[in-house]
Amino acid sequence: MSGDSWALQLRDVTKRYGDFTAVNGLSLSVPPGCIFGFLGPNGAGKTTSIRMILEIIRPTSGSITVLGSNSALAVRRRIGYLPEEKGLYKKMKAWAIVAYFATLKGVDSRTAKRTAFALLERYGLGAFAEKKSETLSKGMGQKVQLLAALAHDPEFVILDEPFSGLDPVNQEVLEEIVVDLRRRGRTVLFSTHVMSHAERLCDRLSIMAGGKKIFEGTPAEARAMLPPRVLLRTNQSVAPLQQLSGVTASRQLANGAWELQLSSGTDPQGILQACFEQRLVLSSFSAEAPALHDVFVHLVGDQAREVKLR
Amino acid sequence: MFHIAFLVAAREYLENLKTKGFWFGIILFPLIWTAAIKIPILIEKKGVPTRYFVVSDPSSKWKGLIDREIDQRYQREVLDELVSYARRNLKRPADLAEWLDHWSESSAVEEFITKGGQPGFLKELEGLLETGAPLFSPPRRRFQSIPLPSEVPESPRETLIDRLRPWLKGDEKLQVENQSVNLFAAVLIPHVLRDSGATASSGAKKSSAEGNIEFWSDNLADVGLEQLVTESIGRELRTAAYQVKGMDAAAVKAIESIHVPLISLNPRKAAGEEQVGLGDRIRQWIPSVFVYLLWVAVFVTAQMLLTSVIEEKSNRIIEVLLSSVTPEELMAGKLAGIALTGLTMLAFWIITSMGVLWVNIGHGGGSGGGSGSVENIPIDLLNLMQTTWLLPAFLGYFALGFLVYATFFLALGSTCNTLKEAQNMMGMIMPILLVPLFTIPFIPRDPNGTLARVLSWIPPFTPFVMMNRVTGHPPMIDVFGTLIMLVGFVFLELLAAARIFRIGVLRTGQPPRWMELLRWVTQKA
Repeated sequence: MSGDSWALQLRDVTKRYGDFTAVNGLSLSVPPGCIFGFLGPNGAGKTTSIRMILEIIRPTSGSITVLGSNSALAVRRRIGYLPEEKGLYKKMKAWAIVAYFATLKGVDSRTAKRTAFALLERYGLGAFAEKKSETLSKGMGQKVQLLAALAHDPEFVILDEPFSGLDPVNQEVLEEIVVDLRRRGRTVLFSTHVMSHAERLCDRLSIMAGGKKIFEGTPAEARAMLPPRVLLRTNQSVAPLQQLSGVTASRQLANGAWELQLSSGTDPQGILQACFEQRLVLSSFSAEAPALHDVFVHLVGDQAREVKLR
Repeated sequence: MFHIAFLVAAREYLENLKTKGFWFGIILFPLIWTAAIKIPILIEKKGVPTRYFVVSDPSSKWKGLIDREIDQRYQREVLDELVSYARRNLKRPADLAEWLDHWSESSAVEEFITKGGQPGFLKELEGLLETGAPLFSPPRRRFQSIPLPSEVPESPRETLIDRLRPWLKGDEKLQVENQSVNLFAAVLIPHVLRDSGATASSGAKKSSAEGNIEFWSDNLADVGLEQLVTESIGRELRTAAYQVKGMDAAAVKAIESIHVPLISLNPRKAAGEEQVGLGDRIRQWIPSVFVYLLWVAVFVTAQMLLTSVIEEKSNRIIEVLLSSVTPEELMAGKLAGIALTGLTMLAFWIITSMGVLWVNIGHGGGSGGGSGSVENIPIDLLNLMQTTWLLPAFLGYFALGFLVYATFFLALGSTCNTLKEAQNMMGMIMPILLVPLFTIPFIPRDPNGTLARVLSWIPPFTPFVMMNRVTGHPPMIDVFGTLIMLVGFVFLELLAAARIFRIGVLRTGQPPRWMELLRWVTQKA
């Protein structure tokens, strides 16, 4: 793919604030029409990267191409953005906020107003369209802001931690919105540190830690980074199983189950066969691919803990 | 760029128009105006009751004199009221303009009394008033002497004042025309008045009150009666002294009434029209009023701007905005929106102020008092605005003054997260902002003096000082030189503010120090 055919491409982008490097040599390619997850612990540099993508701040070095343009501001009408820290004009009515941001993105005021009412109605806020935003609940306000980011029907939507602060029902609604955007051929980039959303939604993802990219690929490719494993429950000793050639490590989990890590290419059926041969009485046995959560913890766990402790 | 800035400006303007504060500010100003004009008149007419007082005058020489003086002054008030009443209610006031002007002269009161006073005057008006004209209601008397209370017999000074004390302190009330009233004052006149001229010349000090008129009252604020007593008795004493010296009292009185015939002329006015009237005096001072309006408008609107930026920053709206608009567009839009708010406020203030003046002081087409009279102030003001550079200058200096301060506040607001932080930073520069306000009264006295000229060349003061000099014929170098300098200053300020704004709006935590701000301005974008 050439630079123009990516929805977004970052090449060796670095952002420094004095001695502190917030983003270090980040390269990234987001194909059009996909949902791209931007994962990383707090302080990984996700928001800084998003601000640079949107040209809110400028990178210290490197280059960014958004929708074929070197300037996000030049194509701003084709981009929708929901920032991490949400806020609204307190004294403005819900419909007016949605319409105002749509007009800033080039929609004429009449269409913007009509779209605002239609969107609020569609997403269950029709009764609150005429209410001032200060009277809305936090979740409602967040929904209004999301609609404000989408009212001009952008090609490329950037959502920074969109699920934080939403209740489970509204998280589901947001997931539906994101999937619907992809169905309509839009590109979505969203940042999160909640892996379950990324697991369900992302076509591709990138994991950042300490300002650097440590993974980019599909969720399956991410999961493949960790060896396969089996989980079993037994009251007897699993020592004989630990001696098997395909088992690389074992540990007892907090719930009492045993996790056996297997070398790649080892067939879990062989482990089950060995259990029978050793006459182990099993109350459960399952072969599981590693979850994205495990990959994430495996890749950034130490750094995330460091950041948290600092 | 302009379209987006226009959208930002429109939102800013419309949202400001929806705030209670804006309408409160807009309406409060004419209300204060009206109150400033109406309340003193109302207090004078209705609020101050008739002051009742007693006079102890063993020589029986002075009491009659005081009463005559009070009556004379009261008749003057009645005559003035009658003249206003006639102007308001005559069918054709223009026909009697000269006759009414005659009664407005200060010497006309004696003729008024001779011709029967109020009844006589009203008789003259019979048939000339519009049908349905209200009945004339005479003003209330300000002072009225009454006899000593029945419980207090005429007695020597010391005893008398002790007996009167309960009335003077308000513990006892007097009955006057079936009404219970307070005794305002007691005037105790000695049998023989001290010769103040002799005392002054000898330099002797008398510790006792012997020979002095004693004015007893617990109201120290209303000195009207005290002045009336000294003026009337003083005049009589001087007349007597003239006679003692063998001078003709009438001749002295005539000589005392001589006034220096002086007219003010202005060489800048057209030939034949050089005489300085009230309109010219207004012309001299009206810029000061405009400067005050300018100052209030600039700071009220700049404050709005500060609040608006901080709201967007603290509500985290700024980040979404900056993904849709450039910092420059956002700045331009906010400046334009708030400037429009300020202009709306100013226009409303000016129009309502004229209206208030019109309603309370003059009625435009009313008879009497040509151009230059108090009644035509609104018309004079309108003429003044049409024929001078006052209004264009005011609008121009408002725009520039607004930009000087609003840009500053905008940059300042972008670096702060709360209004409190902004106020802390403002505290340091507040004294500078007050300078233009303090100079308001001094500039028109010497519009082309050193102070005025020096201050004109200091950009933050230029709009105010130059506005104040606008009718004082400043040299062209000052007018155009300061204008070019101010435009240049605003341009540089906008560039600097844009740099601060770009960094400041996304910054959280402590506001930067002044040196850090300077670094933001000077570093490469």
